[in-house]
Amino acid sequence: MARKDDILKSFLKHELLENKYEFKKEELPTTVREALHSDKPIIKAIALIVEGLDGTSPVTDPVLRNQVTQFLNEAL
Amino acid sequence: MIIRKIQIDNYLCYYDTNAFELSEGLNIILGENGEGKTKFFEAVDWLFNGESRELDMLVSAKKLNETEIGESFRVRVSMTVEQYGEKSIITKSFLAKKEKANECSTSSFMIEGISENSSGERTQVDGQALLDRIFPYQIRKYSMFKGEAELNIFESDSALTNLINLFSEAKHYDKYSEKGTFLKEKAEKAVEDSSKLDKKNEALYRRLEGEILQLEREKVKYNVHLITTEEEIKKIEENLQEAERHVSNADALETLNKRIKEIEERISNLTARIDENYTTSLFDENWILVNFESFHKEFAEKVSKYSKTKRELQSEFDKQKGIKEGEKRAKAELLNNAIPLPNNVPSKAVMEEMLNEEICKVCNREAKIGSEPYEFMMKRLKTYLESQVIEESEPNKDEPLFKFDYLNRLDNLSISHEDNLKNLRLIRTKIKELFKFNDDRKKDIEVLSEQLEKEKSERDKILGNSSIGAEKLSDVLKNYNAWQRDLKNRNQDQVDYTTKLRSLESELKAKKEEKDKIDTSSANSFLIKTRNILRDIETIFIDTKEKKFDEFIEKLQTKSNNFFKTINIDAFTGTIVFTRRNKVNRTIVEVELQEDGRPFYKPNQSLLTSMHISILFAISELASEIKEENFPMIFDAPTSSFGENKTAQFLNLIYETENQKILLIKDFLHTAKATKSLSIKKEFENVRRDKAFWVKLERPFDPNNLKTINSQVITL
Repeated sequence: MARKDDILKSFLKHELLENKYEFKKEELPTTVREALHSDKPIIKAIALIVEGLDGTSPVTDPVLRNQVTQFLNEAL
Repeated sequence: MIIRKIQIDNYLCYYDTNAFELSEGLNIILGENGEGKTKFFEAVDWLFNGESRELDMLVSAKKLNETEIGESFRVRVSMTVEQYGEKSIITKSFLAKKEKANECSTSSFMIEGISENSSGERTQVDGQALLDRIFPYQIRKYSMFKGEAELNIFESDSALTNLINLFSEAKHYDKYSEKGTFLKEKAEKAVEDSSKLDKKNEALYRRLEGEILQLEREKVKYNVHLITTEEEIKKIEENLQEAERHVSNADALETLNKRIKEIEERISNLTARIDENYTTSLFDENWILVNFESFHKEFAEKVSKYSKTKRELQSEFDKQKGIKEGEKRAKAELLNNAIPLPNNVPSKAVMEEMLNEEICKVCNREAKIGSEPYEFMMKRLKTYLESQVIEESEPNKDEPLFKFDYLNRLDNLSISHEDNLKNLRLIRTKIKELFKFNDDRKKDIEVLSEQLEKEKSERDKILGNSSIGAEKLSDVLKNYNAWQRDLKNRNQDQVDYTTKLRSLESELKAKKEEKDKIDTSSANSFLIKTRNILRDIETIFIDTKEKKFDEFIEKLQTKSNNFFKTINIDAFTGTIVFTRRNKVNRTIVEVELQEDGRPFYKPNQSLLTSMHISILFAISELASEIKEENFPMIFDAPTSSFGENKTAQFLNLIYETENQKILLIKDFLHTAKATKSLSIKKEFENVRRDKAFWVKLERPFDPNNLKTINSQVITL
């Protein structure tokens, strides 16, 4: 398994997602690829950051910020 | 990776060519002090890390002496390594040219690399690149240790960062916590900008922003204070411990210190109970009013007088009212309390008719003038006629005599003053009692202070009975008491700063919530939602990073304790505990030996050394797991505090561990008193090892003449 998927999985284990967002463990994605298609904004936002930092082509801070905030502003 | 061979040519005491054909497991190199052990270690260190400065200082004096002026020879350290079935040779060398009798010039050093594949084909490669590839620099740092002091790698603040970078996946999470904070801050800014467009709350919003900034600054300031104080406490405790090391009767000192601490705590508790703020009683509890009692008396008398007059008037009024009421009742009683007929029955006309005719037509009997029935009818007619006249001047029957009850209020006031006065008079007793209480406590404190002085002078006596010289002793003594005072003060500071930080945090939380409320009503909702999600993402990133960090530390701790227990089998050791501590700008890990959750009291050097070695073995094991490869470890005199028996036990135990190890020790050698000749003790036969060497100076030699020095390598 790619490192980025391991990193994503570590983040998705955080109790906040279960307690506050009420996501069930079994419905959470296991790969960045899968998470990028998630209908849950926070999951997709995390996936965007992981892809941006540990993906095949890392992005700069402004690009990362644009990608994440633009997605969230539109999705919410 | 295995070091198969180390060859040292003309490097200091290693004259000409000297080869160490090493084994895969435990290699022990024996040697007396000054006969070549440390020079072996330094030669390998030079190969790995050496610089090009002062190369002439590394030249073998014996070789230089034998060389003709103008002639050259090579100084060389070479290592043959086996990794993944391939052999590599890395050689670092320079040329020394004899210029004068005892002088030489040197070339720059060169590092050559030779790679040999499984079929024996050799290729020349960049030596430095080859070295860094097969034995990375960061791992080399945790592979070579000189003496016992160097074993404590956590003395260095950078050690942790290096370890994390090398062996923990925690390093991948650093950038996430940074970026999480960056994204959240940008989202906060967007919300703030949007909120500021709403002019309604502009002033309040700006004020809150200012207050939050101020509180954040205060928080940082107090955090720095707290961390600095904690560091100071630690230092003072270390100083005290260090001073206590010199003291012969350590147990008695510990007991005394406990007692002194106890007395100081009792004094501090008693001091806290003394309340000499008498002005509180005087002003807050109104004792001052006790002198105004005569005014109250005058007031109370007046109130009482008016009250009496009022009651008299009221009584008269009630009496009059009662008479009328009484008449009504009397009439009613006449009729056996039967409800009388209305006044107009029989009617006025009928009544007049009956009176005129002197006949009662209701009961049908005569009613002559003056007779009882006639008088009855006349009275009844009169009552009727009276009831028809409205006297405007007559007061309403229900209207009270006094419309407003001012006197009642005055009465209450007077009673309340009376109660207050009663309490005020008691304050005199209370203050008296307080004086007595405070005096008693002061006496208690005096007794305790005397006791404290006695205990302290007892402590000075014990400190006086110490192992250091008189001059240094007076310093230690002076400092010791000052440190104890400092420790007490710093502990109080620590409590104060923690309390202040807690209050700042709750104030900050309240202000932020207030600001959030304005945001919710002023800023665009999608910006708020984005910010809230990015806040959560930041939390997730930071928590995950810390979790990974803690997991790594725990793993290191478990592994270290496994080795520690093995090295000190059947002995009481305590437990190695790794604690994460935040310093001003960084996180460090402190390693401590504990017993039952408390610091181990004065562990001896041998225990400390075995703790440090255990941690190094744990790191080495981690390196093997992470890099899926073993790396060698080289220790120069790591067990000098162990003693021969424990060293033997230790060697037998590490023989079992997996990595290649090269240990340079001075144990198991015997010098014959008469002949001064050296030999290896019989006990060494019982030490389990894979290979052993003995480095010894070629005899005879002149200790004052380097030209006679040549370390020989004997494979045992």
